Amino acid sequence: MIAFVRRKLDEIRGSGEAAVTVPSMDGALKPNRLLEDAAVLREAPRPDQIVERGGDVLYSSGTGIFDLSGAEKYRFDAQVSALAAAPGGALAVGLADGTVRIIGGPHDGALPKMTCPVALVFDGPDTLYIANGSETFGSADWKHDLMIRGATGSVHRVDLSTGKGERLMDRLAWPYGLGLSPKGLVVAESWRHRLRLRTPEGQVRTVLSDLPAYPARLSPAASGGWWLALFAPRNPLIEFILREPDFRDRMMEEIDPDHWAAPSLVKDDTYMRPLQGGAQKHLGVVKPWAPSQSYGLVVRLDADFRPRSSQHSRADGRRHGITSVIETGGRVIAASKGGDLILELAGQGGRA
Amino acid sequence: MAATENWARWRSRWVPDQVIGEILSKTWIDTLIPAFFLAAVLVLFGTQNPTFFSAANLSDIGRIYGEYLFIAIGMTVVMMAGGIDLSVGSIFALCNFVALSLINYLEWNLALGIPLVMLVGAAVGLINGILIGYLGLRAFLTTLVMLIIVRAFVDSLLLDYAMTIARGFNASAAWEWMALSGVFGIPASLVVAAIVGIAAHIVLTRIRFGWHVMAVGGSRRSAYNAGIRVKRTVCATYVLSGALCGLAACFYAARLSSASADVGRGMEVTILTAVVLGGISLGGGRGSVVKAALGTVIIIIVQNSLIQMGLLSGSSSLILGCVLLLAVAIDVRWVKNRHKILARSYVSPTYFKLPPLPDTAQGSDSPYALNDRLRGVEAIGLGELDGPEDMIFDAEDNMYCGSRHGDVMRIFAPDYKRIEVFAHIGGHPLGMAFDAEFNLHVCVGGMGLFKIAPDRTVTKLSDETNRTLLSIVDDSRLRLADDLDIAPDGRVFFSEATVRYEMYDWMVDALEARGNGRIICYDPKDGSSRTVLPKLQLPNGICVEFEGQSLLYAETWGCRITRYWFDGPKKGQREVVIANLPGYPDNINRASDGTYWCALCGMRSPVFDLAQRMPSFRRRMVQSIARDDWLYPNMNTGCVIKFDAQGNILDVLWDLGGEAHPMITSIREHKGHLYLGGIYNNRVGRYAIPGANPTWVSHDSYWGNRP
Repeated sequence: MIAFVRRKLDEIRGSGEAAVTVPSMDGALKPNRLLEDAAVLREAPRPDQIVERGGDVLYSSGTGIFDLSGAEKYRFDAQVSALAAAPGGALAVGLADGTVRIIGGPHDGALPKMTCPVALVFDGPDTLYIANGSETFGSADWKHDLMIRGATGSVHRVDLSTGKGERLMDRLAWPYGLGLSPKGLVVAESWRHRLRLRTPEGQVRTVLSDLPAYPARLSPAASGGWWLALFAPRNPLIEFILREPDFRDRMMEEIDPDHWAAPSLVKDDTYMRPLQGGAQKHLGVVKPWAPSQSYGLVVRLDADFRPRSSQHSRADGRRHGITSVIETGGRVIAASKGGDLILELAGQGGRA
Repeated sequence: MAATENWARWRSRWVPDQVIGEILSKTWIDTLIPAFFLAAVLVLFGTQNPTFFSAANLSDIGRIYGEYLFIAIGMTVVMMAGGIDLSVGSIFALCNFVALSLINYLEWNLALGIPLVMLVGAAVGLINGILIGYLGLRAFLTTLVMLIIVRAFVDSLLLDYAMTIARGFNASAAWEWMALSGVFGIPASLVVAAIVGIAAHIVLTRIRFGWHVMAVGGSRRSAYNAGIRVKRTVCATYVLSGALCGLAACFYAARLSSASADVGRGMEVTILTAVVLGGISLGGGRGSVVKAALGTVIIIIVQNSLIQMGLLSGSSSLILGCVLLLAVAIDVRWVKNRHKILARSYVSPTYFKLPPLPDTAQGSDSPYALNDRLRGVEAIGLGELDGPEDMIFDAEDNMYCGSRHGDVMRIFAPDYKRIEVFAHIGGHPLGMAFDAEFNLHVCVGGMGLFKIAPDRTVTKLSDETNRTLLSIVDDSRLRLADDLDIAPDGRVFFSEATVRYEMYDWMVDALEARGNGRIICYDPKDGSSRTVLPKLQLPNGICVEFEGQSLLYAETWGCRITRYWFDGPKKGQREVVIANLPGYPDNINRASDGTYWCALCGMRSPVFDLAQRMPSFRRRMVQSIARDDWLYPNMNTGCVIKFDAQGNILDVLWDLGGEAHPMITSIREHKGHLYLGGIYNNRVGRYAIPGANPTWVSHDSYWGNRP
């Protein structure tokens, strides 16, 4: 009853859940050009996730897994949607058709099918955590899941030695990143713009909320803390559209997803995409602070999940849609899925 | 789905939503609040009090109302200059005493007595005025002190002379007329107050002194900087207020002949409540006599009815005080939030369904298929030009174009490197055309239609047209003259993009999708302008056809090009030439091979097309999110199309990615080249047209090969 009254009041006042405002990028999130200026390690079509296996850096791109020299290591029948490396050298690969495969090691083989494996993380060689983004859509249809305001994601723990699976969390709004901290399992819940922590006892709490962008994968930083990739910006227009069910229904019914008013990985100049007033070119220039459907953002968090610094590619840049960032061997490597690049970032950088 | 869409269409057609915003943007809208109060008060007391509407009661109320009105008008003038006059009650008492002494006791002639009483009031006002205006004392404190001093003075006079003057009696008919009768049953005080009120209204709205008062109240510093004598103006308002108190006191003295110590006590609060309730802002600069009159009538009715209903005088003051508090609260909140309400309600979207979006995919067999033929066109004036919306060429091949800074620029042939300001107009020059004598006709955003002779003389041709009957916004002034062309007989046809938005807001008009624009004809024979085609969806480019009897016009939001015959056998008829463009057409101009070029300044996007069919979605969007985040038509990519008189698309030129020419608003063919302009661009593009006639110039096509 109180929840109902609060929701109605929010709708009238435009507050709480009904607010279309977006947190401003300030403090540790103050914009800079660090991603735009970062060194390019490789050009690759739509690189998605980066992992380190025994000193080698591997990335997934399309249906294959490659190393940094560009050599193809593995190829699959479907797009690779998630990747994780076990301490013993085994790889766990999530595919767009829903299968999760273990490659190498003692547990080589396929696990039971999911709908949408988007993040994987090993806890020792025998335990695998799997984040299933949605019950209804595959990983390629993430825009659909956002636009129906989907919250059917779940996180599973699989004991690889016995093959027994266990559902740890459900009703998540697109759990897109997993990380293991001493305090428990960290889950990036994209559509709710927050990080959640599940303690080994099963308690769940929010450790970071009100992010100005949709979080993707996260990975531990060498000096403690985390690297968090955020793949698309929140935008007041899209926040507004998310509260307009009629418009969303008709848009999903009539229009190609590439041309929706929705977050995007890729900076695309096509006129088939809607334009927002502030993005109008003046004297041939798009302003960096223009409203944008895509953005590049990597945030460095401390061990308590407080943002410490950030690296940006803004509306006038192209290195957008960062889906994964890892730190290995003194290097910080990020995948710009929208910019088709593997980047090497400045280590601590970004405290503007 | 279809049902909601039909409802949206029906609603857009029959419910004039835009009226709300237009009414709210009127300056007289403030008067609606006291008018609403008055209606409420009338209903309340009219039903509660059976004798309220009786002739005797109305006459009583009217008589007091007249007296109050004098003082309220004085208070209004003071407050509009940013001051306040709390001494009115005491001045009133003093003048009442003087009037009784001079007219009743000494039996002076009224023609001498009344001016003298007013002079006494004015003298006290002058003291106020000197202290506040010239010495810069605070109005509130000064008049409060004056209230006490004058009251004490009156009390001491009454102590000595009250009995004496009470014995007096003036038997003149005029004095009796002032006290008891009037004109056609309207009380005398009210008749005179009405005359004074009309005079005051004229002074405040039409006469220099009134404008100075408004300016001083609106912004003292600006008024001073503008050369207004602020001190004198402020001082004069207090003198006026005092004199009007004197006039009111004469009517009061005639009516009651009372010299009691209670005369005028608490009057300053009553009058202050009245004018603030009427909407005279305490901050100054806003208000009118009508508002003061409305506020006063409300207060009189409340006071009078409360007494009739038998409330004790204490509770009557209490209620009055509460009303004052409420009025001040409303005044403050209204002034603060008025522009927000206006901003929320002005944009009024309507239903508009475009036909399915034509294919533009690269490599498709669509006539609009993407290419990159405008890639790498030569840039003229790069970085030196700012907003060349249109350009045109004279007989020496020099190019003329507009600039955002309000200049017409001339760029010299043959290399187009040297640029000079040809003429300064002040508004952003948009469409351009030469007449036979090379007089440059130009549409200037926010200003109208101008002519620049070859010797650089600027002449205004038109800045207004006939006002539409029943229109709420004043659409007689030209807000956004856009493009023009000249018919063989010299008549100028020009488009006005929208009557609801200013130059810098023109793209917001897309969110409305209503026919807000029009095409106007200027006739040089008698210098008159008249609207020929109203209610168009952002009419933009205009091009007189080769036969000289018809013109083509582009409706930007309508995504169509239409032919209109202004002469010949089909005069007055219209015909759609191209119904469903993939983008938003801007200027149209003649091509060398007897066809036409048209610039598409932006392209349609499926999401925006969908939003155009959901007006309530757009309305909520405008209300919910900031302007820079609104969904707009995509104006970051444009192209150029070539079409023939039948509307067949012959050619299309794209700048893929919009690197150099993101938004093309104009094209002009000249000697084998096509020149490209953009209202937000920093250059003019020059594209060599393959196979075009290298000698063809537009001017010859219009006016023949004359010298």
